[in-house]
Amino acid sequence: MRLYNFLCKKVGDLTVKYSNLPESYIKRSYEQVYWKNPKGYPQYPAAQVARKKYRFTTNRPWTMQFARQNERTKLNKKVFLEPVGEWSFFKGDRVEIMVGKDKGKQGIVSQVIQERNWVIVEGLNTHLRVVGKDKEFPGITIQSEAPLLVTTGVKLVDPETLKPTEVEWRYTEEGEKVRVSLSSSRIIPLPKAAEETIDYKSKELYVENPAKDTAAADVTKITFQPKLCTFEMDIMESMGIKEDRVPAKSYWY
Amino acid sequence: MSKTTALFNLIIKRNISVTTPREGKRNFRKFVIPNKRGSRLHKQNQAGPNPELEIDKRGVRDTGYVLNGRFVKVPEMIPELIVPDLTGCDLKPYVSYKAEDVIQSEFTAQQLFDAVYSRKIVTDFKENKLTEDGEPLEPSDEEKLQPEEAVQRAKRTGSDIF
Repeated sequence: MRLYNFLCKKVGDLTVKYSNLPESYIKRSYEQVYWKNPKGYPQYPAAQVARKKYRFTTNRPWTMQFARQNERTKLNKKVFLEPVGEWSFFKGDRVEIMVGKDKGKQGIVSQVIQERNWVIVEGLNTHLRVVGKDKEFPGITIQSEAPLLVTTGVKLVDPETLKPTEVEWRYTEEGEKVRVSLSSSRIIPLPKAAEETIDYKSKELYVENPAKDTAAADVTKITFQPKLCTFEMDIMESMGIKEDRVPAKSYWY
Repeated sequence: MSKTTALFNLIIKRNISVTTPREGKRNFRKFVIPNKRGSRLHKQNQAGPNPELEIDKRGVRDTGYVLNGRFVKVPEMIPELIVPDLTGCDLKPYVSYKAEDVIQSEFTAQQLFDAVYSRKIVTDFKENKLTEDGEPLEPSDEEKLQPEEAVQRAKRTGSDIF
C-alpha cells in the first residue's frame, strides 16, 4: 500500500518540504485538467481527462519553466525510474561520485530532485555551456553541474574513514531513525543544510514578519474554557445576540 | 418446432453495422441541460410555471419559498455573516516557523462533563446532599437541564445539525 501510494505521488517528499507550500497547491499548480465531469450529478462519475505523464527536470513543478516543458503538445520518451524505497540523500551530504569524469571525487550535495532520483553535487560532474550567443556577442561560458543518479552514480561517504559506503536506515536505542554505514556501523547524521527551505536556512534563523506571523507564545496560549453550550451559542452570548424563538420540530431520515 | 426456435434464441447473434461506428450508438446518459443550454422552446418551458426539468440553481439556496405562485421572502434564510471585532487580537493569519508544533489530546465528552459537573458532585457527596441513587437534592441549573431543553437551546441559534 505504501509503495502504491509512493508511486501515485508524482512530486517527492523533499521537494514538498523544501517549497514550504501545501501539497494541494503544488498539485494544483502543475496538473493540467482538460475536462472534468460536473459535480453533484449522480449520473456522472467523478471522472476527468487530465495529463498523466510529466517531464520532471531541475525545474521545480510550480515554476513557469516546468509548465513550458509540459505543455499540451509536448511529448517525451518515458523516463525509467528505479523506485527507491527509503531516500537517504539530503542537501549538504558528503558524497563520492562513482561514474563519469569526476569519478572518485567527493563533494557536497547542493540539490536533490527526488522525482528523477537525481542529486546535484556542487562543482563536480560539470560541463561548459555557452549562454546568450549572438551574431556579435560571443556568449558567456558557464560551468554547470549535471545531475547524478542516486542509485548508481553517487554513494554516501562514511564520516570518519571518508570512504564510500552503503547506507541503511536503522533505529537507535532512543527510537530515532538514523542512517548507518554498513561498512563501519557508524551513524551518518543528517546535515544541517537538509532543513533548508525557500523561506529559511533553518527554523531558528527565520525572520518573522510582525504583521502577518503569529508569535510562538501567542500560538501556544490556551484560552479555551469548557462550557456547556455549542459553538454558535457561545458566539451569540459573546456578541450579545438574543434569540428566543425555537424552530419547528424537523426530522432527518 | 418450439425446441428449434428456443435453440435459435440462445445462439449469440452479431449484427453487422452498415453505418460508420459512431452513428446510432450515442451516449444518452441523462444529459445535464444547464440554464443556458437547450432549444428556445426548452428554455421557454423552463422559464414558465411548469418546468420539465428541475431548474439548476448552481448550488445557491433559495431565501424563501413559493406560495400561490408568489415568492415569499424569509429573512431568517438570508445568511448573515457575523464578524467579530478583531481589535486587540494577537492572532495573525500565519504562524511563524519558529513556533513548535502544538500536540494536544482530544477534548472528549467525559472531560466536558468533569469540567462542568464534577465539582458540585464532590461537594454534594461530602455534605451528604445526594440521595441513595446518587441524584442531587439541590440540583444546579446545569443538573436540571433536560435533553429536550438542551436541543431547543442549540436550535435557537438557527443551526439545524441537532
